[in-house]
Amino acid sequence: MALEIHLATSRVQKDLVSNEDPKHIVTPGEVITADSGFMRGHGTYMEDDKLYASVAGCVERVNKLICVKPVKSRYNGEVGDVVIGRILQVGQRRWKVDIHSRQDAILMLSAVNLPGGELRRRSEEDERMMRDYLAEGDIISAEVQAIFSDGALSLHTRSLKYGKLSQGTLVHVAPSLVKRRKTHFHNLPCGASIILGNNGYVWICPTVNEDTDHTGGFIENTEPVSLADREVVARLHNCVIALAQHRMMLYDTSILYTFEASLKYQVSSA
Amino acid sequence: MAGMELLSDEGFRIDGRRPNELRRIQCRMGVFAQADGSAYIEHGNTKVLAAVYGPHDIQGSKGRAAVHDIAFINCQYSMATFSTGERKQRPRGDRKSQEMTHHLKQTFDGAILTHLYPHSQIDIYVEVLQSDGGNYCASVNAATLALIDAGIPMKDYVCACSASFIDETPLMDINYTEESSATPQLIVSILPKSEHLVFVEMNSRLHEDQLSRVLDIAVKGCSDIYHILDRAVKEHLMEASIPLSSDT
Amino acid sequence: MSSCTRFDTVVPLHYKRVKDCCTISDKHFYTFVNEFHKDTYVEREPGESSNDRNDRAIRTAAKWYQKHLQLCAEDAGIANEMKVVLLTNDTDNRNKAKAEGIMAYTVHEYVKSLKGSADLIDRLAGLDSKPRGLKSGRYLQGTFQASRENYLEANVSVASREEMVFIQGHKNLNRGMQEDVVAIEMLPESEWSCPSSMILEDVEEKADEETDQEDAIVKTKAAKGPKLPSGRIVGVIKRKWRQYCGILQKSVLPGGTRHLFIPAERRIPKIRIETRQAAALEGQRIVVVIDSWPRNSRYPQGHYVRKLGAIGDKDTENEVLLLEHDIPHSTFSEAVLACLPELPWVITDEDLAKRTDLRSVSICSVDPPGCTDIDDALHAFKLDNGNYEVGVHIADVSHFIRNGTAIDREAQNRATTVYLIDKRIDMVPELLSSNLCSLRGNEDRFAMTVIWEMTPNAKIVKTSFMKSIIRSKAALTYAEAQMRIDDPTLTDDVTKSLRILNSLAKILKQGRIEKGALTLASSEVRFHIDSETHDPIDVQTKELRETNSMVEEFMLLANISVAEKILAEFPDCALLRRHPAPPVSNFDPLVTIAKAKGFTMKVSTGKDLADSLELAHIPSNPYFNTMLRILTTRCMMQAVYFCTGMVAPSEFFHYGLAAPIYTHFTSPIRRYSDIIVHRLLAVSIGADASYPELLDKNKTQHCSYNLNFRHRMAQYAGRASVGLHTQLFFKNRTVDEEGYILFVRKNAIQILIPKFGLEGTVYLVEQKGASLFTYNEEENTQTADGVTLSVFDPVTVQISIDRSNIQHQKLRLQLVRPVISGFSVEPQPVTSSAPPTKKIRSK
Repeated sequence: MALEIHLATSRVQKDLVSNEDPKHIVTPGEVITADSGFMRGHGTYMEDDKLYASVAGCVERVNKLICVKPVKSRYNGEVGDVVIGRILQVGQRRWKVDIHSRQDAILMLSAVNLPGGELRRRSEEDERMMRDYLAEGDIISAEVQAIFSDGALSLHTRSLKYGKLSQGTLVHVAPSLVKRRKTHFHNLPCGASIILGNNGYVWICPTVNEDTDHTGGFIENTEPVSLADREVVARLHNCVIALAQHRMMLYDTSILYTFEASLKYQVSSA
Repeated sequence: MAGMELLSDEGFRIDGRRPNELRRIQCRMGVFAQADGSAYIEHGNTKVLAAVYGPHDIQGSKGRAAVHDIAFINCQYSMATFSTGERKQRPRGDRKSQEMTHHLKQTFDGAILTHLYPHSQIDIYVEVLQSDGGNYCASVNAATLALIDAGIPMKDYVCACSASFIDETPLMDINYTEESSATPQLIVSILPKSEHLVFVEMNSRLHEDQLSRVLDIAVKGCSDIYHILDRAVKEHLMEASIPLSSDT
Repeated sequence: MSSCTRFDTVVPLHYKRVKDCCTISDKHFYTFVNEFHKDTYVEREPGESSNDRNDRAIRTAAKWYQKHLQLCAEDAGIANEMKVVLLTNDTDNRNKAKAEGIMAYTVHEYVKSLKGSADLIDRLAGLDSKPRGLKSGRYLQGTFQASRENYLEANVSVASREEMVFIQGHKNLNRGMQEDVVAIEMLPESEWSCPSSMILEDVEEKADEETDQEDAIVKTKAAKGPKLPSGRIVGVIKRKWRQYCGILQKSVLPGGTRHLFIPAERRIPKIRIETRQAAALEGQRIVVVIDSWPRNSRYPQGHYVRKLGAIGDKDTENEVLLLEHDIPHSTFSEAVLACLPELPWVITDEDLAKRTDLRSVSICSVDPPGCTDIDDALHAFKLDNGNYEVGVHIADVSHFIRNGTAIDREAQNRATTVYLIDKRIDMVPELLSSNLCSLRGNEDRFAMTVIWEMTPNAKIVKTSFMKSIIRSKAALTYAEAQMRIDDPTLTDDVTKSLRILNSLAKILKQGRIEKGALTLASSEVRFHIDSETHDPIDVQTKELRETNSMVEEFMLLANISVAEKILAEFPDCALLRRHPAPPVSNFDPLVTIAKAKGFTMKVSTGKDLADSLELAHIPSNPYFNTMLRILTTRCMMQAVYFCTGMVAPSEFFHYGLAAPIYTHFTSPIRRYSDIIVHRLLAVSIGADASYPELLDKNKTQHCSYNLNFRHRMAQYAGRASVGLHTQLFFKNRTVDEEGYILFVRKNAIQILIPKFGLEGTVYLVEQKGASLFTYNEEENTQTADGVTLSVFDPVTVQISIDRSNIQHQKLRLQLVRPVISGFSVEPQPVTSSAPPTKKIRSK
């Protein structure tokens, strides 16, 4: 069996964009500016009236605010972000959700739509039923509702587009690679849906036709998926990985282009 | 060579270095996909792999006892059973590894901006693949790279270097042979930009009058290492971030 | 072609020597570290032996070097005329090298092609087999010790053997000289011989060819005593040549340029030198160095360096003495003097703050008369609880001699003050030795103080150490102190403290003797020097008073206390003094002699020995016991300084004092060891800072070698000075004196004259004539004319100066009593030139 090995050294150095302005790259402990007229943003710290970088990455400046954006880091949540998460723990009126943030996010029982879309106070009955709604290991899509003072995130799924995800594949990329767009839910023309979580989790699943199925509920769709759909999902999965590997931004168009470009390679029968 | 001559009359050390020379350092960042940050470093024949996970929610019993308004640093130092000349019985948990674990924790407690991550934990796993002296130093340098790779905010790099003192000459970055002959051994970790010492350990006896000379060469070693690491980090950044901006 | 480059891949056997050569810069040796060069490093191939790999590395380096020279020459635009020659005795390597186009020869081939190669080849011959032989055990390595008595005999002390290897005859001695490191080969047992027990001096100049006959004579004359393991020297590994003092031997041919030089040191052979100034040098002491000792020459060859002065002149003779014992005696350099404190010396408040003020305590010092370097002072008083407080105060020399200063380096090199009869070679400049450090009466001085609290039984309850400032109330001599103790009318503080000290010292001494400390004797004398001519006018043995022993006891105690303290504080780098127990075989002569007199000596432990010595008295011969003790002293090993980190703790013991540990603390003015000990003590009580060398056990050990060497030399010089003055004393005198036979030899008896502390030889056999005496080897006696001379017998001898050889005057002893007709001489009539006949008898 022939093996194809790519060594790190054989990777092509991309000088395509060298015409751009050289980016201001800093490493921890480096002085960004000694000018005291700037505001301290993420990835920086002040000492002796100087602004230092605390992470390695590019300096980004918005008016007076200076941030350093690391190439790779855990997800820093912002209210309104779409995230994909995995249930870690079922607790008192809340679920703990892993969203690759620095702390586990919380999904309050009061922040989910009840099955059937009932709007009422959550009863003790609901509390007992929590594990039936979402059990450990389930994958959900949700939106960041609020950020606690210690940095922990609170999620909600009170929209029909959010909720439990049943059949599909989860890809894990760096959060910074997911481009912020108006929508992160895409039904791609190739016959699959993709949810690009801002937290770097990407969900790919076969497109379900009925829009009505977005119940925001907790029903698992366990119907068998056709081979063609599976192949599309798998191809998309690899496309996302390939893009991430080359540190290309992820959004519908980039994924679609990649998908199309990949079509000339067929699944080998072996 | 006749006998064990750690420093020859011609001024060469047993491995052919001059007293003020480092061993060849090679490093790579981002060697693991699963970890938040990872790095691999070689100091001559000492080879170390470091992986960083986090910050994430506190896990395990150790973290529960930690102070909650800052991040808890969890370290684990282990040596592969095949890392030494004689096969090791167990890779971690022995006294030496525990001590080293503790040293690493101390070192990074001082450098990571832990107050940014309350209720969180940062795991640093260090594995020595091949041991040829300066295990602590290589571990610290590898962990620094892994932390940078993980995007964890730090005051500065942490660079570590060892030094010894033989025949009135301070030696930089000592290898196993030099370490195991009964000579003083000074291990230093510094924040290279401010030259603050974050960790100093001294084995065997050295007269205080000579300490400053040995300390100087160790600090010089640290700052040399810093330049090597910084270049490696910048290269890594360039490589990683060019496409990022290409389509903004 | 004068430069030689060594490659670093070397055969370890010669490594050290080759390396030593390379450090001599004017010989143009250079080392190229091929192992660490990218063009010359070679990796060991699978299946290749490390030897082959090294050979290949050498060839690669040689090839590279040739190419490198070529390139350099091209760069400089000149033709390259330099050739790289590879010297190897490995045939395989040589052939391979030749095949690769390298010029390769064996060392012999190469050397033969050089000019004046004969000598080199000769040296090579020895070199070739030596190291290999040493390694295989065929040859042994040792230090050459020439016999003092017989120039054709020597011993070699080999580290791996307990007893010395005996070497006899020119052939076997093979040009070895005193202190050389030599390689020897053991002779088969059938060829072993024993010392001829003859005292033989190389008197006449002989041609080189005569050596063989001489050897034969020696052989035939060899006694039939027990055979000693004998060997022959195969080569000299390291020469210990130095400058030698001596005189020119009168040449047979006047006006000739080739002369023989007679060194003052008897164990050094005569040296052949060439000089045109022979006439001017007659009667002069001169200095000569050895250049070489060719194989075919009977004598080493050297050249004249400088003239010291006339023979017999006291200054010249002193100079000879100092040079011969390698004693640094030049005046102190400017740099050293610059380290001295400025006068007037004042005690600052800072000094006071750091020191305990003991100026109100009644401290006094007790020393020999005329002593100007007072190291020690004492005090004692009764405490309220019935115990005594006893203090020993030692001059704080380390306050003035700081580490690393010029004065410190000088003192470290000198290591000790050397006392000659009429001269003192100070270790530190006089300002310190006789003034600032000397604990003079009624002056404020700095001291290191040891204070004990002792019970009336002299048991130590508490020991404390401090830096102090003291004011001695009285600087007494031993006699004065004794007088004060004995005078019941005196009740002042000083006297009271002396009495306490005296009584405690007696208990301490008793305790020490019970533990097995040895009281040994040596004959010490004092010369009365004429104040104008500086010639000795009378001799006395030193008297010992109770107060001597009193001071000694407390000094011993202080030394032991300090030793304990510094050992506890610095287990690895304390400087102590040990005295190894001598091997039992050392006592054999003593045991034999004592047995002949009917005493059994037990020598297994120090305690046994001390007890047996105590018992051995002959009422009719009061000096017998003293002589026995003198002989015992000769069986002892040397006490040495050492660093605790370098010696096993079981060997710290001081045999003579029966102390588990011991050091020198009490005489820092005259011994450098004490300065180190002071520094260690100061660090351990937090009174001073340490410095790297002080805590480095290798450095301390190295330093202690020098201390031991200088110490020994100072002793020898002191003895030689006594000898010199004895000779001067007898310059115009002929004296009959009582003495005792110390040894009976085959052709002589050795006599000890207690009055002068002098030891001399009475030759029983004239150079050629037949002996009147019959030597009884078993009983160790000489008999003639019905008179038997045996060891310890009292005799009377006539002492005079033998002027038969004007250049080399010797003390001559002739037997007066017992009268042996035809041998003994007439007693000297009592004349005015003889010293007062009052006999000072020691007990």
